[in-house]
Amino acid sequence: MPHSRSLLRVARRLASDPAAAEDLVQETFFRAWRSFDQFQAGTNMRAWLFRILFNAFYAQGRRISAGPVLVSLDAPGRETEPQSRSGPSLADVAEISNAFGDLSSEHRTVLLLAVVEGFTCREMAGILALPIGTVMSRLSRGRQALRERLAPAAPKVWEARAGAGPAGKDIR
Amino acid sequence: MNCADITEIAPLYISAELDARRASEFDAHLQTCPACRSELESQARLDERFREALLADEVDVSRVNRRIRELIAAESSRPAASVSRPRPARLAAAAAGVAAAFLLLIAGYLLVPGHVARVYADAARDHQLEVVLRQARPWIVDPAAIAALAVQQGIADPVPPELGSGYRLERAKVCRLDGRLYLHLVYSDGTREFSLFLRQRDGQHLTGPIRGFADGRFLRAASAGDEHLLSFETSHLTAMVATDQPADAAKRFAKAASAAL
Repeated sequence: MPHSRSLLRVARRLASDPAAAEDLVQETFFRAWRSFDQFQAGTNMRAWLFRILFNAFYAQGRRISAGPVLVSLDAPGRETEPQSRSGPSLADVAEISNAFGDLSSEHRTVLLLAVVEGFTCREMAGILALPIGTVMSRLSRGRQALRERLAPAAPKVWEARAGAGPAGKDIR
Repeated sequence: MNCADITEIAPLYISAELDARRASEFDAHLQTCPACRSELESQARLDERFREALLADEVDVSRVNRRIRELIAAESSRPAASVSRPRPARLAAAAAGVAAAFLLLIAGYLLVPGHVARVYADAARDHQLEVVLRQARPWIVDPAAIAALAVQQGIADPVPPELGSGYRLERAKVCRLDGRLYLHLVYSDGTREFSLFLRQRDGQHLTGPIRGFADGRFLRAASAGDEHLLSFETSHLTAMVATDQPADAAKRFAKAASAAL
């Protein structure tokens, strides 16, 4: 099923447990099916599906889960090359997963969409129904917060300037 | 553009959403401001580490895919309320057609990928037709002739016969991508082939979201269909990688190419 892997990956970080994440992805495709006529041909199908996913999630009145997702590099179904072992170590994955779990839900959401799923700020603004300036601000602060948790002693040149950032400003 | 401006619009630079003028101003600032350059490199490294860690997360979609297919099949075979006399056979056929059209649209097969820059689309097409599908082309395989061809294209640096420890140069030709001539090199690791497109660096930069960092260079990414593309710049060259292999294989090859160039 096209895009289901990406949707499930994000849903697992949103929902409280794996079964709820699968329910959310199923609900997303069901809603897409029912509102198929509303999709504008030529626009971004993947972003449209993610917008439906977040709408479905928030419609359930859920808050984003803070719990880290357990990972197993030996399990089948990995998206990376099966013969490859040059990826991150289990310890690195666990460290990053824990640091990610410590972030606010707003920061986790934009980091997931931008860095892992590759959405642009403009696409995320559409998915999350936020001004693009808010998305940019959350992304900058989310990156900084993640870095702080992974390397507390790292220099924070841009963080000092972040107060002058575009928080909440719509620059579309 | 000052440091505060850079801080504010860095997310747009990383995702390649700045227009050409602002991207050029951003690049110019990075050339003269080591602090901002270093900060952006740190962010690129962190993004890469974060992305790889979260993509290592196992995502088994078999069960949810089955559930979605069953749900759509059940929904599409239900007669609409307004149909007074449904004819089961015709209805079932129509439902199957609608379901198939839905899945095709979801897959994006019916959509025009208008957001891919022309140069990446051309490279993806060349790799697909000339390397994957092996359409007949006048390839050059002799190393000395390949070196001469590179010099002819203004590429002064020697063409590496090997990249890293696993990729060997197989053949080369000149091609045209988005109106410009590139040296198209094909490397193989024994089972898979990768295209490396080179041209002498000039004022025209390849754009794309930053998806990695190697040897002090940003790796910028694009995708077109099944093809993964990555570009980077050395002091003399503009380089682009194209492959139908997974994204992490593309990045590994791009890093090997960057290290050798």
